[in-house]
Amino acid sequence: MAGRRAFDGWSRTVGWLKVALPLTALGLLSTLFLVSNRIDPETAIPYSDIDVQSLVREPRLTKPVYSGTTANGSTLTLQALEARPATTPGNPSTAVDVTATLTSRTGLRTDIRSNAASLDAATNTLRLTGDVQIDSSAAYQVKTEALDADLSASAFTSSVPVQATGPTGTVTADSMSLMPDPKGDGTYLLVFNGRVKLVYQPK
Amino acid sequence: QEIKFKSLQQDSSLPVDVASDSLSVDQTSGIAIFDGNVIVTQGAMTIKSAKARVQNSADGSGIEKLFFDGGVTFASETEAAEANEAVYTIASGEVVMTGDVLLTQGPTTIAGQKLVYDLQKGTGTMQGRVQTTFVPKSGVAP
Repeated sequence: MAGRRAFDGWSRTVGWLKVALPLTALGLLSTLFLVSNRIDPETAIPYSDIDVQSLVREPRLTKPVYSGTTANGSTLTLQALEARPATTPGNPSTAVDVTATLTSRTGLRTDIRSNAASLDAATNTLRLTGDVQIDSSAAYQVKTEALDADLSASAFTSSVPVQATGPTGTVTADSMSLMPDPKGDGTYLLVFNGRVKLVYQPK
Repeated sequence: QEIKFKSLQQDSSLPVDVASDSLSVDQTSGIAIFDGNVIVTQGAMTIKSAKARVQNSADGSGIEKLFFDGGVTFASETEAAEANEAVYTIASGEVVMTGDVLLTQGPTTIAGQKLVYDLQKGTGTMQGRVQTTFVPKSGVAP
């Protein structure tokens, strides 16, 4: 008799299990689809957001490098983040974030950087604008807003007020030019003109 | 012979202020030349000349000497001096004026060939064929 009652208990639990186990299996299975995050096929592939139309319309060069030698034999290299060649003859080709390095025959190095530049091919002058900075190897650092570079004669002139810091103190002037020495011995003259003022603090 | 006299005394580490029409710096040698009514002011002293050349100190830490030429005038409250050329050594505060120097200090005028100012000690010595003209109190020039 005792064996039968025990047997009944076992078969009853098995009977319950037969109902409970499939139900939990069904529940587990449903969470697979219910809870899982939705994959939206639309955003699955990341499209690039560069405006293709404008790329096609305006041809541009990224990271262009131009180098050449000037009339008096010094080499000039120009680099820019991005340049847009002149499409219509009227407007000049422009460039952004320009750095220029001029090394003269005597090994003198002048580094110039500016936010923007526009090259006027007709007169072969490059107009640099936007906090232009000129570091000459005579340890003078000149800051101005606009600088015209005559590429053939490698002469740089700025007709707007300039400030410069150098070994002899700080200099302010109305205009400035950096050009080959007329004596022609390959060296360059950095000339400040117009109300030049130098302040030197003795040590 | 020479004449010593009391003159401007000032600290030579005051800032030096140079104004001119143009400044040209030779990129290779670093020589800087001021051109066109150059006015150098430091404290109570003003030096004016047509042209001034800067000589940097050897270690390139700043200006060592200023060479003036083309007619130099040195002025302070108490006196004024004129000469052909002048050399001002900033560190030692010494101004040397040469070439028919004419110094006027109040009523007296002193002429000579070379005038040396020592700004730190506040003394000046005039050398070379010195002629002094005094105006006696009675106001009649000799």
